[in-house]
Amino acid sequence: MTNYGMVIDLERCIGCHACAVSCSQENNVSLDQQWNRILTEGGDSMDTPEGKYPEDGRDGTLSMNHLPMACQHCENAPCVKVCPVNATYKRDDGIVAIDYDKCMGCRYCMSACPYNARVFNYDEPETLPAEGTGNVEQREQGVVEKCTFCSHRVEEDLDPACTVACPADARIFGDLDDEESTVSRYINKYETDQLLEELETDPNTYYVRGDMTPGRKRHGNELEGTEKKEVGNPDGVATDGGESE
Amino acid sequence: MSTRRDSGVVVPQFGTRGKAWLALLGIVIVAGLAAWGYQLSRGLAVTGMDNVFSWGLYIMLFVFFIGLSAGGLIISSAPKFFHSKRYDSLAALGVLVSLGCIVVAGLLILPDLGKPSRVTGFLTSPDFRSPMVWDFGIVLLYGLFNVGYLWLLTRRDLAKMGSQLAFGVEDTPAGRERDRKLAFWAAAVAMPLAIALHSVTGWIFATQIGRGDWFNPLVAPMFIMKALVSGLALLLVTAIVVDRVTRFRMPRELVPELGKVLGIFVAVHIVYLVAAERLPHAWAANFEFWSITSAFLVGDTVHFWLWTVVGGAVPIALLAVPSWRRKVGVVFAASVAAIVGILFEGVYLIFTGYRDLNIDASPGVTTGTDYTGIGSDVWATVGSYTPTLIELLVTLGIVAVGAMIVTLGLRFLPVQPGGRKPSAVEAGETEKSDAETPPDAAVADGGYVVDGTDGDRR
Ligand code: SF4
Ligand code: SF4
Repeated sequence: MTNYGMVIDLERCIGCHACAVSCSQENNVSLDQQWNRILTEGGDSMDTPEGKYPEDGRDGTLSMNHLPMACQHCENAPCVKVCPVNATYKRDDGIVAIDYDKCMGCRYCMSACPYNARVFNYDEPETLPAEGTGNVEQREQGVVEKCTFCSHRVEEDLDPACTVACPADARIFGDLDDEESTVSRYINKYETDQLLEELETDPNTYYVRGDMTPGRKRHGNELEGTEKKEVGNPDGVATDGGESE
Repeated sequence: MSTRRDSGVVVPQFGTRGKAWLALLGIVIVAGLAAWGYQLSRGLAVTGMDNVFSWGLYIMLFVFFIGLSAGGLIISSAPKFFHSKRYDSLAALGVLVSLGCIVVAGLLILPDLGKPSRVTGFLTSPDFRSPMVWDFGIVLLYGLFNVGYLWLLTRRDLAKMGSQLAFGVEDTPAGRERDRKLAFWAAAVAMPLAIALHSVTGWIFATQIGRGDWFNPLVAPMFIMKALVSGLALLLVTAIVVDRVTRFRMPRELVPELGKVLGIFVAVHIVYLVAAERLPHAWAANFEFWSITSAFLVGDTVHFWLWTVVGGAVPIALLAVPSWRRKVGVVFAASVAAIVGILFEGVYLIFTGYRDLNIDASPGVTTGTDYTGIGSDVWATVGSYTPTLIELLVTLGIVAVGAMIVTLGLRFLPVQPGGRKPSAVEAGETEKSDAETPPDAAVADGGYVVDGTDGDRR
């Protein structure tokens, strides 16, 4: 079976927000919402560090990191379990999806999601240009929405928009059930963690902290598993490189 | 119609005051409907909620009215279950109040929905893992049960006065005897049903890992306890008010008695359960004896203080002194304070869930409500919420529906058959039921004549 997941290398992420912008563009997200947000781990405001500047020849303590956040597509997704009308459900391929025709807008799922990944259309969605952007139909006012792992693209063997947009190769998308997939190999090889692990939601999104990965070179928008599978492996070599042995 | 009078309808007809009250309720209901219409046309953007604080006044009051619906049913069913006639005079009124409250609670869900027309999804594609589905089922069951139970308690008297609401039931001694047995079984169902209702409503919150203190096994027992407190307090308040404005008689000896019970409920709830909940946190998070003590005793928000002082300390103090407890006014004030306290407990609960984000790094979460054009700030790192006028109007309108149900119940149902001493009272009451009698004069008759024990009511 397929179980889609994502690896985000926090050492590679440069906090450029390109993925967030391309997400909103591709998915036609209203201007007062964002499915994909880039948080700053550091100072009190976005893109500011915490700590002290080096003064008088001393060492400074400045530090800043970026944490891209979107729906984690949890295995044990509380949002799925609370939805009274089965509007939020887990697809067979691991993607947590919302049936916008069923959602009655009770927002129970929003209180259930520990990651605040969900947004609700309080207002009529507003986009620039007004007729919308990207390749997904606009959701109605009064329903909840969130990251879909670009299921419409994945179904056509394309990577999610954020993964394609990332200029630092920080995002890798693939099948967690396939031991040979790039995501699986990254998870096996590098130190990864899941956000709020202690809550036992078991997200399908893994974050690499510590050693920087080689990143994944790309020749187009193909998923691994298509003929260009060999381009994505942890050593960044265009062949299997003996990694699997 | 004399049969009507004997049968125990406490408002034989609406007088000027009654009509004014109905008109007021009508206006509030219409205003609520208008506000809801406006909300439907503009979306939930006209409420104070946003993506961080995604449940507001509607859910806070939903929780509150679920709790309020407990008291009447428990007071009327618990004695019946033990074959006691105690509180019989309050039984029908109690169930009527419970019914009003559960209707309010159920209706409060509708304006909270982004797509109210899809509420049918509860029936067409329910997910039985969802505590909200459990709650939907139990609220429905509880509401229907209240209707049935109320009818069971009053149908023989309805038949006696020839009301259509008897639906063909006849008033016979054998039938009354049978109803008494049925009432026992109904009482046996009522209590587990009430406990289930409050626990399940608690579990809507207590199952949620993502919202701070909600994930707490004590929430369900707390909900039961606060239902007992607020439900009993509301029954006392209603009975005392209805005693003043209608022919209904609240037996004077019940006031200190139920006052005492209320005091005990408040003590168990606020003093014991809240302490049991707070102590482990305070102990684990602090090192010195005094810092543990102060973390335990001192709350951090206004809602906490409103809840524990107004809803806890004040009623306990008022109800602890036996001579105060005998005063109707004091019991009334204590009950009101207890109700206000429980209201703020619900507010406190929602705020503890939504104020802090689990991952609150800047810029935070998009609010979904603040976009006003290029350059607007749509981000938030803490939850904040103030209800809007629209939310208040809609809520008031729904509460008025509940009040309307109770009022019409008093008008058309024999809520207090044989609750009065017939001859002594009848004279006074003929006068009193006269619509034109001003409030004070109305109070001045029946109430004092009924029984001699209300000296301290003066
Ligand atoms: S991150 Fe939130 S919305 Fe996404 S699957 Fe997990 S609980 Fe659901
Ligand atoms: S808001 Fe929609 S998706 Fe979320 S729990 Fe309610 S019905 Fe389900």
